[in-house]
Amino acid sequence: MTQVKWISSVAGGLLLAAGAFGILESGAADVFLEATRPDFQKISLAVAGIQNAGGAEWLGSRIEEVLKKDVKRSLVFDLVDLPSLGIKAHDLGTGMESGAKAVFKQAAGNGVSVVVWGKASLKESGKEADVNMEGLVYDSGSDEVIGGKRYAGAPSVLRLMAHRFADELVFRYTGEPGIARTKIAYVAEHEGAREIAVMDYDGHDARRVTADGFLNLMPRWSPDRRFLVFTAYRSRNTQDIDMIELATGKRWTVVSLGGLNITPALSPDGNFLAFASSYEGNSELYLLDTRTKALQRLTVHPSGDLSPSWSPNGRELTFVSDRGGGPQVFLMSADGSNVRRLTFEGDYNAAPVWSPRGNWIAYVCRIHKEYKLCVISPDGQKRMQLTTGLGVDDSPSWSPDGRHLVFSSTVEGKSHIYMIDADGKNLERLTFEGTRNSAPSWSPAS
Amino acid sequence: MKKTLYTCGVAMMGLALIGLTGCASKSVQSGGDSSAQAPAKAGSESNAGSFPSTGVQPSGSGLRGLDKSPSEERVGNGAMLAKVDPSASAARQLDEARAEQAASAAAGLRDVFFAYDSWAISEEGRQALTRNAEWIKSNSSAQVKIEGHCDERGTSAYNLVLGEKRAKAVRNYLVELGIGANRLSVVSYGKEQPSCSEHAEPCYQQNRRGHLVVKSGK
Repeated sequence: MTQVKWISSVAGGLLLAAGAFGILESGAADVFLEATRPDFQKISLAVAGIQNAGGAEWLGSRIEEVLKKDVKRSLVFDLVDLPSLGIKAHDLGTGMESGAKAVFKQAAGNGVSVVVWGKASLKESGKEADVNMEGLVYDSGSDEVIGGKRYAGAPSVLRLMAHRFADELVFRYTGEPGIARTKIAYVAEHEGAREIAVMDYDGHDARRVTADGFLNLMPRWSPDRRFLVFTAYRSRNTQDIDMIELATGKRWTVVSLGGLNITPALSPDGNFLAFASSYEGNSELYLLDTRTKALQRLTVHPSGDLSPSWSPNGRELTFVSDRGGGPQVFLMSADGSNVRRLTFEGDYNAAPVWSPRGNWIAYVCRIHKEYKLCVISPDGQKRMQLTTGLGVDDSPSWSPDGRHLVFSSTVEGKSHIYMIDADGKNLERLTFEGTRNSAPSWSPAS
Repeated sequence: MKKTLYTCGVAMMGLALIGLTGCASKSVQSGGDSSAQAPAKAGSESNAGSFPSTGVQPSGSGLRGLDKSPSEERVGNGAMLAKVDPSASAARQLDEARAEQAASAAAGLRDVFFAYDSWAISEEGRQALTRNAEWIKSNSSAQVKIEGHCDERGTSAYNLVLGEKRAKAVRNYLVELGIGANRLSVVSYGKEQPSCSEHAEPCYQQNRRGHLVVKSGK
């Protein structure tokens, strides 16, 4: 259903540029990854198994399944299967016994860099139940068990334990916090209304955070992950931008100007809220200083301006304007100066979001009457279509590591939420419940 | 047109309305349309509610690193999400919608339909609005809300802007027909409140509409 396509926007120039960097021979996906991370090479990792150490038969395999998916999705590791290499993966214990050492030697000989294993147990005492999990890590580079983790918690946090361990692995090998404990906020249809919901990054544990019975749209996270900002229809007639504190459910209005107030986006330092409002006539972009409450108007144009998204350093914004007729993606400095158009291909380009790594802007592009995901470099030189097929793809949002996008799509009929790698590979559907899920927003990493 | 907006930051916790914070009143320009724009109002004070600090604290990722003799870490049940209860407004919204529908059906107000990506009012649309204007004139106490709607194609955000353009095009034509602008309000629902949910043009056509509603609530 998906494939990576180069779009030769600057036909000759593209080939020249590719040739200059010596990547002409590569397939498009490889070119993309090279461009994202010049030194990118996945680390081969095997999960030898999470053994049951008592309490429940399903426990180890449940944790193992979550851990393996996390490892795969990290895109840092290449998940290898020991049995397929002819290596019998039994209980590796503490990793110190000769049987375990033989397994490590075989694994290393087959190019496996990291072996992970562990055990888990469930203890019940009265109404309370407690899960204990231990994970250990062997590294073939140093030929030793480099360490491990021990977790305890209620059975309800089983998945969270696996996510936490996966993030520790990513942290160990990249210095980055990983994405396995991140969340996705989105809009879920509920009895005809649109309510804000939050789920784990893998689509599990979805929970509603509003229950107004009307329209709540386009949630965005605060940099500290504690709050969401979103468009709320206060009544059927007026529309505000609200903020909700997730831990308490406390909610209040932060922008109430009249007219259309949409697409809020907090700056990376949390000091400014950029949003679109039509309170002075047509939809324009504004900047609210969250400390002084000063409101600055950024755009002055008779056409519609909307959908601001911050560059990771907070100095620039990408946004949508239909000042050229149809909607197109523009860039400007955060003070409203230096406005320039970024997209020129096609007559409908919208919903831009700046990658947290800064090197790409993802957006919705209309191609052959379908609304698909595209990415473009901020200098406009590189451009690629990420998704294909029928239907409307909307609301792309980057993972905090810049390696994935989450978006909504009607490709299978009803609108649901999907994840895709930044190079257009590994499309994964995240939502299966409900009648309409849309407007996903990926949380920052914790 | 000058008008004063009174706005309050309303703090809500579940069902309970626990307080009002940061109420402010402010005079703003409104009702102006695309042509005569006010200059950028740098530094003007907005009527925003309270804003907590949302910047990232230097507390780190919560990861402690692999350890050769790891101590036990207690994994909490993500105290992150409070349980939500249906708010009191949910039932009110439903009642309001029903009342509006009933009043609008009784008035026999007609929808105006638009072409793809367009907010231009067709000849057929003008005829419908001429009929609607007669009703509005002869029901001088009625307040009419114009809803702008879009079909499911395109992005959610841009369709909200497009829906507002459609609603304003309808309002402007009604004003041309002699209806006082103070009797008309506009709201855009973008593609979020479709009247028809098939993925085909006959349905899209039904959804690209300006819908007139006799207002009941505020």
